[in-house]
Amino acid sequence: MSAWWTVFRKELLDALRDRRMVLVSFVIMPLAVPLVLAGMSALGARKQVEKLEATLELPVAGAEHAPNLCAWLASHNLRIIRPPADPDAAVREQEREVILRIDKSFAEDWRAGQPARVELIFDSSRPIQSGTTINRVRGLLEGYDREVGSLRLLARGIHPAVSNPLQIASRDVATPESRFDLAQQLLPYLLLLLAFIGGMQLAIDATAGERERHSLEPLLTTPASREAIISGKILATAAFTLISLAATLLAYRIAFAILPGERLDMSLDVPVAALAKLFVVILPIVMLGATLLTALAAFARSHREAQGYLPLLIFLPMIPTLFLMVAPVRTQLWMLAVPFLSQNQLILRILRSEPISAQDWAVSMGCSLLLAGVAWFVAARLYHREELAASS
Amino acid sequence: MIEAEDLRKSFRSGRREIRAVDGVSFCAHDGQITGLLGPNGAGKTTTLRMLYTLMRPDAGRVLVDGIDAAKDPSRVRYLLGVLPDARGVYKRLTARENIEYFGRLQGVAPALISERIERLAGALDMRDFLDRRAEGFSQGQRTKTAVARALVHDPHNVLLDEPTNGLDVMTTRSLRRFLHGLKADGRCVLFSSHLMPEVAQLCDRIVVIAHGRVVADGTPDEIRELTGLPDLEDAFVKVIGSEEGLFA
Repeated sequence: MSAWWTVFRKELLDALRDRRMVLVSFVIMPLAVPLVLAGMSALGARKQVEKLEATLELPVAGAEHAPNLCAWLASHNLRIIRPPADPDAAVREQEREVILRIDKSFAEDWRAGQPARVELIFDSSRPIQSGTTINRVRGLLEGYDREVGSLRLLARGIHPAVSNPLQIASRDVATPESRFDLAQQLLPYLLLLLAFIGGMQLAIDATAGERERHSLEPLLTTPASREAIISGKILATAAFTLISLAATLLAYRIAFAILPGERLDMSLDVPVAALAKLFVVILPIVMLGATLLTALAAFARSHREAQGYLPLLIFLPMIPTLFLMVAPVRTQLWMLAVPFLSQNQLILRILRSEPISAQDWAVSMGCSLLLAGVAWFVAARLYHREELAASS
Repeated sequence: MIEAEDLRKSFRSGRREIRAVDGVSFCAHDGQITGLLGPNGAGKTTTLRMLYTLMRPDAGRVLVDGIDAAKDPSRVRYLLGVLPDARGVYKRLTARENIEYFGRLQGVAPALISERIERLAGALDMRDFLDRRAEGFSQGQRTKTAVARALVHDPHNVLLDEPTNGLDVMTTRSLRRFLHGLKADGRCVLFSSHLMPEVAQLCDRIVVIAHGRVVADGTPDEIRELTGLPDLEDAFVKVIGSEEGLFA
C-alpha cells in the first residue's frame, strides 16, 4: 500500500470525525449557497414586478401649470402627489426616486405651439434601485409626447407617419437563460470560492495544525517520503472539498425543484447534465486550492498565521468576476488559460447553455492543472525545510 | 548499531550563529542501552534529530547498521524506531488507529500490524485504552501510544528522546522494564536524558554531552575511573564542568 494512500485515508477519516468541520462543509455551506441565490432572485423578481405594476407615487412640482398632463399621467397608474420643498435634495437623500418638475412657462409655450419644458430629477448613480422607476416615468412622458404630437399633425391634415421616418423594431435574441441577473453573476463566484477554499480547514489542520499538536515530527520519522505525505494531504483536502461541492450543487438543484417557480428567476435553474459539467469545470480549481492551501499551511508558522492569509485567498477568485462585471468582453482563448477567469467564463457559458469546444476544455483544464502542479512543487519544497518540523 | 561520526550543526539566530552540535562522535551497540546524558541545551535533541534524518548535519556522518543516513534516509528511518521530543498523537483517532497509521507508513502488512499491536499493548500495559480516542489521554497514555507506534515495524534500533519526561513513577517504571526487554531482544537502544540517576540505573554505556561536545564516553565504571571520583553524580558534575541544568 503506498504511503500517499495511507496518508489520504487517515486525513479524510480524521476530518470526517471532526463534527464541526463536517457540519460547516457538508451542511451549512451547501444550504447557504442556494438560499442566498434563491433569496436574492426571489426578492429581485418581486421588486421588479412591484415597480412595473404597482401604482407609482410621483411628486410633481408645478402641477398647476399642466393639469391635462397630470390627469393623463394619473390615468396611467400614477398618483400625483405634492412635491417636497427641495426636490433636488429629496432625490439626493433617496427620499424620492424621481421627481417631475413642470416649467412655469409650460402653459404659455403649450398654447404657442412651442416645446413645453418638463424636467425629470433623478440620480443616475443608483441604476439598480431606481432605474426601473425612472424608465417608467420617462416612457409615460414620451408616450404623452407622441400622442399629442400625432393629434396636432392630424389637426393640420398631415399623416402622423410623416414625422416618423424610421420604424425601429427590437428583436431580443437573449435566451431566457442569458438574461443579465445579479444572482447569475454571483453563482460562478460562489462556486469558485467554495472550490478554492472549501478545504481550508482540513489543509491548515493537516499541516499547520499537525505541527502545532507536535505530531508532524513523528510522522516525518517514518520512511514515507515528504512528497508522498503532501500528496496524500492535498488529495484528502481535494476530496473533502469535492464532497462539499457536490452537496452544494445537489442542494442547489433540490432548492429549485421544490421552491415555487413563479417566485424565482428560473434562469438560475440548472439541469443535471449542466451540473455535471460545472463539476468538471471546477475540478482543476479544487486541485489548485488544495495544493495552494497546503503550501500555505507549510509556509505559515502557526494555525493562526495560516488563517491570516485567508482574505487574500478569498479575493483571488473575485478578480475575474469583477473584471467580467465591469468589462463584459467576448471570450478569447487567452482568457481560458487564466485560472478563475477561465472557469468563470465556462460556468457562464454552461448556465447560458452555450456550446464549449474541445479546445476550450483542454486549455481551461490544462492550464489550471499545470499551475496546480507548480504549486505542488512549491509545497513539496516547503515540506523539505528543516524548520517545518524542528521548530522548537 | 548506530554510529555518529563527528556531527556538527549550527543554527542562525538573527546575526549570531549558534553551534548546537560541535563534533559529536559515539557508537551505540546492539544488545546495549546507551544513554545520551547532558544538561538542557547541551545539543542532545539536535544530535538525535540528525540521527533520525530530520536534520541534515553540516558535517559528519551517521551510520545505522552500516547504512549512511545521508545516502539512504528512508532506509535508515525504516531501520529506526523513533520517539521524538514531539510526541503528539491524533486526537480523533483511537490509540490503535494511531499505531496502525504508522505501521502502514512503515510498510508493515495489515495482519502483522494487528499482531504487533497486541504484543506492544501487552508489554506497555495499554489494553484498557487501546480502542479509545486519544482525546483526553493522560501524558502517560500518550507516551505509551507514541512508543508503540514507533516500534510497530519491529525496528532493530530504538531511539528515544527523553522518554520519561513528564511521566509518573509507575509509568516510568513500566517504561524502564520495557527498555530492558528491548535490550534483552538484542536491540540497540539509545535514549537521551538530563536525569543522571535514570541514566546510571538503565545504561550499559553513557555518552555525556555538554556545549555540543562529547565530554565523556564509557561504562559507569569507566567514567568513575576517568574522574577519580567514586560517586557517579560527582563524576558527572566534574566532566560537565558545572551543575547547571543537570538536576532540573
